[in-house]
Amino acid sequence: MWGYVRDIWQGAKSIVVGHIVTFRNFWRPKITDRYPHSDAGKNWRPGPGYRGGFALLKSDEEDRELRCTACMSCARACPVGCIHIEGEGKGKERHPVSFYIDMGLCVYCHQCVEACPKDALTMTDEYEISGTSRAVLVRNLEELVAAGEGRTEVSRVV
Amino acid sequence: MSETTVAGLTTEEMIVNVGPQHPSTHGVLRFVVTLDGERVNECVSHIGYLHSSLEKIAETLRYEQYITNTDRFDYLNGLGNELCYVQAVEKLLGIEPPLRTRFIRTVMAELKRISSHLVYLGCYGNDIGAVTIFLHAFRERELLMDIFEAVTGGRLLYNYLRIGGLRNDLPTGFGDQVHRFLDHFPRRLTEMTDLLTENRIFIGRTRGVGMLTAEQALSYGVTGPSLRGCGVPYDLRKLRPYAAYDQVEFDIPTFPEGDCLSRHLVRMEEMRQSLRIVRQLLDKMPDGEIQAEVPRRLRPEAGEVYERVESPRGELGCYLVSDGSDKPYRMHWRGPSFYNLQVLPEMVRGGLVADFIATLGSLDPVAPDIDR
Amino acid sequence: MANTVVKTILDVIRVWAENLARHWGIPPVFVSILAWIAAFVFVIVLVLLMVLLAVYLERKVSGYIQSRLGPMRVGPIGLFQTPMDALKILTKEDIVPRDADKIMHTIGPVFFFVVAVAGYVVIPWDRGAIAARVVDLNIGVLLVMALSSLGLLGIMVGGWGSNNKWSLLGAMRAVAQMISYEVALLLAIVCVVMQAGSLSLAAITADQGGSLLQWNILRWWMWPALLLYVIASAAESKRIPFDIPEAESELVSGYHTEYSGMKFGFFFLGEYAHLFVIALIGTILFLGGWQSPLPGSIADFVPGFIWLMAKALAIIIITMWVRWTLPRLRVDQLMQFAWKGLVPLGFVAILVTGLAVALGLGGGGI
Repeated sequence: MWGYVRDIWQGAKSIVVGHIVTFRNFWRPKITDRYPHSDAGKNWRPGPGYRGGFALLKSDEEDRELRCTACMSCARACPVGCIHIEGEGKGKERHPVSFYIDMGLCVYCHQCVEACPKDALTMTDEYEISGTSRAVLVRNLEELVAAGEGRTEVSRVV
Repeated sequence: MSETTVAGLTTEEMIVNVGPQHPSTHGVLRFVVTLDGERVNECVSHIGYLHSSLEKIAETLRYEQYITNTDRFDYLNGLGNELCYVQAVEKLLGIEPPLRTRFIRTVMAELKRISSHLVYLGCYGNDIGAVTIFLHAFRERELLMDIFEAVTGGRLLYNYLRIGGLRNDLPTGFGDQVHRFLDHFPRRLTEMTDLLTENRIFIGRTRGVGMLTAEQALSYGVTGPSLRGCGVPYDLRKLRPYAAYDQVEFDIPTFPEGDCLSRHLVRMEEMRQSLRIVRQLLDKMPDGEIQAEVPRRLRPEAGEVYERVESPRGELGCYLVSDGSDKPYRMHWRGPSFYNLQVLPEMVRGGLVADFIATLGSLDPVAPDIDR
Repeated sequence: MANTVVKTILDVIRVWAENLARHWGIPPVFVSILAWIAAFVFVIVLVLLMVLLAVYLERKVSGYIQSRLGPMRVGPIGLFQTPMDALKILTKEDIVPRDADKIMHTIGPVFFFVVAVAGYVVIPWDRGAIAARVVDLNIGVLLVMALSSLGLLGIMVGGWGSNNKWSLLGAMRAVAQMISYEVALLLAIVCVVMQAGSLSLAAITADQGGSLLQWNILRWWMWPALLLYVIASAAESKRIPFDIPEAESELVSGYHTEYSGMKFGFFFLGEYAHLFVIALIGTILFLGGWQSPLPGSIADFVPGFIWLMAKALAIIIITMWVRWTLPRLRVDQLMQFAWKGLVPLGFVAILVTGLAVALGLGGGGI
């Protein structure tokens, strides 16, 4: 009998405690955000190590536009083979004439950036990468160069 | 069965499909359950919906290229899987990672364990019918995700560990961020305990449900919290310390009953122990290099290796065979969810439909980890 | 005061309508029939508005409890979200499974909804005015309870007609649960009826008139009945912790698994309409119905039906709070709780109330 009463008492108490918890949470600041509409959502940028879209960086040297020498290191490092490069020229002249990254295949592993001996390829903080067709997701050389406009550092956690 | 006949009336058994499209199958799983009214007579699991051929893929990738794939099968324990794979390759190559690397790996694995158990807690609450705990648990997990993002650049798929080292050192402010979490989280954990674990209805739903004896568990190869919930203190972090687990003090929580409640309590206590481990490791964090000397082309000598770590779901094993080339000859994962799931028919037989869901949830399976 | 103003306005409208009818040569019988229909339409519209409000509140309350914002996109603070969802549900494809019993599959939700709304005809919204109630039955409370158990038939028909095992399981669970909790609910109502001495909801309201202290919630001998009513009505409205007929994580969606479009909408709206009627009955039984908490004060200026709905909404918000806090019971625990816990408690409640009434504490007596 005593155990029965105690069971009811403890059960009732645990239920009341649960309600206190939810009541307290009701008044707490909310953690979700109205992402594209709120100021915080619009202005949010990921950290420097974020792995989003891709960009090719401009070279400091006078005689070449891009740092990339089409050495294929990134294409070899890629576990899924989503990078396709065609290079032209010999030695110091060598540069890419076409550079495709298929974002539909990419697994965002960052290994291409780490493999690059010239720090020419970087991942950016672009995070709205969805498209309406597979073709849209293939980035070509112009898009990659445009994405790297004004950027000098490769993506890296600091 | 005698229950099927009441005063000359016979009822038929009903066969229902739980899954592959069902709210509480934790991914894509399918069970063919034979029901007698509400009672479960038989349960047959059908797996393979999420088979992604990760073992075969390994044979086509170089050792260092495969790391990113390890995040993907048990997606709740990405860093732990990476740890297992990287340690296996290191063992194959005979490389010893630096001490700081081992510490950082352990910190990350333990934080990942907390995050995995939080997902378990939320999903289990959802299975039992308490929906709010799901979002509360995910709210706290979000703080961990922020930590992972700051360290690795990714929130779910990290690709952070490297053979013999790490991709990058810890970012500035890492210690503060983790300490903030360590100070904040125990309060919220108590709150979640108040909300779910101590609730009389929750206890009523889980106590004595989905019973698993230690013998059954051992004979089926059940590991992890499900085994420790039967009172067997089997934990690879203690039995065979890897990474930096030999540097810290912690307990292995066990509960002897072998029901859903004791499995749940093991996980709740493990979160507290993980906090303890992380705190100790942060205090003792050594300085120094993070990358060991590793040859440019990884070509291990022909041979084989089996490496295992304690994932949040149990013993995670990685078996690698090398033929001397730069790609594995064969790879096999021992996914703990796969082994834990096998015992499910034994546990749910004779229970109710609701017990079936509660028991399945208490095993904390991750569907891609079952199928790989 | 305000009530008399409202009443005067309604009287003016009625007189105007009657004169108009006489001018057109419509017999007075039709006028009263039209008045009935008008009152019924008024009630239906009110109910649907309240249902939409309740759905919106449910989303907001659950969101706030779960550290979310809830609906925010459509309209200011998401106010138009539920009307838009209702529109969406109207335009959605109505899928009937190939092997379903098509007639039963259609009848189920319609029946459920109609029965859930029919309960409103006996609710006394206000004192005596045209909107007071559509019909004044002296067995009003009994009718509401009878209708709410009749809703089960809709569930069972729909669950069976869907030809889906989950639906069937859900429907069977619903029947078992509702029948068990109906007993407990009626025992609680019996206490109130003993106190008021009438089955008429208007008389029950009148019994609690005078002052706040006359409300049944503040009469200590009604507390066992109150507890019983709170628990049993939560089960009656099939909400967590008693939502086993739906039991999303077990039975997918229970009896409405196979429904889509407006048929699902009927189940959905019917559920909230039923929830609202239970809250209204709870208000009338325990919170003094349409009466303001402080009669004779400024609170009288608020019309009675606003008080009634405000109190009912407060009850609904509390049931939401409960819903988003507790886990779900198991089906056997639920039945045990009903028959081993609530039914004995019901007898205790009747005993306590009976003693109080016999000792002259209560108002009406039998």
